[in-house]
Amino acid sequence: MVNIENRSSEYALELQEINKVYEGPPIVKALSDVSLTVNHGELLGIIGSSGSGKTTLLHIMGTLSTPSSGSISIDGTNVVGMSDKQLSGVRSRKIGFVFQEFFLLPGFSALENVANGLLYSGIPSEERMERAFEMLRTVGLGERGDHLPNELSGGEQQRVAVARALVHKPSFVLADEPTGNLDSENTASLMALLTTLNEGGTTVILITHDLEVAKSAQRRITLRDGRVDSDLSR
Amino acid sequence: MGLLDILSVGSSGLRTRRVRAALSVLGITIGVAALVGILGLSQSGSADLMKDLDALGTNLLTVQAGDGFRSQQASLSSDAAAMINRITPVYEVSATTKIAGGVFLNDLIQDGRTKGITIVAADLNLLRTQRGSLKSGKFLDEMTSEYPFVVLGSVAAERLGIRNTSGNHKIWLKEKWFMVIGILEPLPLAADLDRSAIIGYPAAEKFLEIDEPPEIIYVRAYPEHIRDVRSIMAATVSPENPEEVQVGRASDVLEARIAASDAFLNLFIGLGAVALLVGTIGIANVMVIAVIERRNEIGLRRALGATKFHIASQFLTESLLLSTLGGITGVIMGMLVTAGYAVFREWSIVIPVYAISGGILCSILIGGIAGFYPAMRAANVSPTEALRTR
Repeated sequence: MVNIENRSSEYALELQEINKVYEGPPIVKALSDVSLTVNHGELLGIIGSSGSGKTTLLHIMGTLSTPSSGSISIDGTNVVGMSDKQLSGVRSRKIGFVFQEFFLLPGFSALENVANGLLYSGIPSEERMERAFEMLRTVGLGERGDHLPNELSGGEQQRVAVARALVHKPSFVLADEPTGNLDSENTASLMALLTTLNEGGTTVILITHDLEVAKSAQRRITLRDGRVDSDLSR
Repeated sequence: MGLLDILSVGSSGLRTRRVRAALSVLGITIGVAALVGILGLSQSGSADLMKDLDALGTNLLTVQAGDGFRSQQASLSSDAAAMINRITPVYEVSATTKIAGGVFLNDLIQDGRTKGITIVAADLNLLRTQRGSLKSGKFLDEMTSEYPFVVLGSVAAERLGIRNTSGNHKIWLKEKWFMVIGILEPLPLAADLDRSAIIGYPAAEKFLEIDEPPEIIYVRAYPEHIRDVRSIMAATVSPENPEEVQVGRASDVLEARIAASDAFLNLFIGLGAVALLVGTIGIANVMVIAVIERRNEIGLRRALGATKFHIASQFLTESLLLSTLGGITGVIMGMLVTAGYAVFREWSIVIPVYAISGGILCSILIGGIAGFYPAMRAANVSPTEALRTR
């Protein structure tokens, strides 16, 4: 069955034989022949211990770093060989990031922080604000748009960050240890939010070392020493 | 990104770090304020001097005897004034002669202290030649110059304690009573006359029994011929010994004052430039620190889709905003200082447009220079490096 939504490819993300070598010294081979595909609407967990290559893989999937060899397609478009400017364009349209440290900008209100997710996409200011407000409501913070980051709890701050990652309707969201700075209650609440968003059609790639958190994912890929060790679906 | 977005993003760093922004702007503020203030003050001061010069004219020559070859002081001939009058472009000639003797408030003071007031016999057109005016009373005329009447220079009147002529003051002048009929306003082109008690030549002859040749002759000639008149003056006055005649231009003193203030101007502009240089380094320093401190923000913005150009323009805008803010506050401060001092000195306030626009342009240029390296550095931080937390 062909996907009739406005998507040019079956896969949100497709990696083929990705290698990443850091030309030291010392020379470090961070990723070896990593191939994987992410379907639209998937909730994928990438699990691995420290030094397994999780962060390198995240950076490559997010086009923040380029592989030494191999190919990456986002929505069917090969991004290897693109210029820095083109890659920035891909990020502004196709990819949403959620970081462990939230990275909310201190001088901006929650609403403005969410709207910043659209800043580099060429959308006029008024529409950015409207869409940001909608997104804040979706993550349950519609009433707190005026608050500055330091007036929000950790859990609320991460929700604002999730709203910022989703406001431009990306092909997929890369969540890098999103619960790493949250207590168990807020962790549960954030995972519930990500699950709900995923059920609504958002593709989520969750990178974590926390097996409890990874349990929410239907499919789990384990990285070990820069290689895909296992790829299990529920 | 539109211009408003660029300004908003560029100002975000300043909004969250206001004290630092204010402090880093100070150097530029002081530098620009110094430049605007100095230019404004010198223009206001020069305008004042120029106004004086315009009013007094630059066509007044002074002719006096210089040192002769022989050891004794040379003197002008008694018909010198008449000879000068025959030079065609000359339209006013007024002779003065110093007379030795003391000037006192009354005949009881005989301690020899003359208060530095000299007695001067003068032609009746002296005031017109000097373009001077009277503070009180009137100047000598055909009638009063024949009798013991005296007009006091501004300083002389002050030293004698005579403020106006309404009291019919008499002063003891070379052991004769003279009545004060006029007090002069200061004469900028002949400061010596401010310290004089001026009487008519006929009165000097009749009452003081003095008949000496003129000592200083003031000459007005048409401005376009002043150079020519000056060149033939010495030979006209003393055809045999022209080198014994000194010819000067009274306004040269005022022009020298303007030139002197220009010399100070250059010095202060130099100081202002140093302040601006220090301010530039200050802003560059603050911007370099901002780039280091805000690596995570750079990483986040790159993740959100900012290009290198977006990042560079953000930090360059921040630097430009800082320096322009400094420039604007500097211009305002400089204008206030100028206005304050000019009011205090009773000058007209002149703040040259080039000082204002120059101050602002200078500060914008500084922002560009100071922000260039930090902006390039920020743009070239690798996104993965920038997202790393410490």
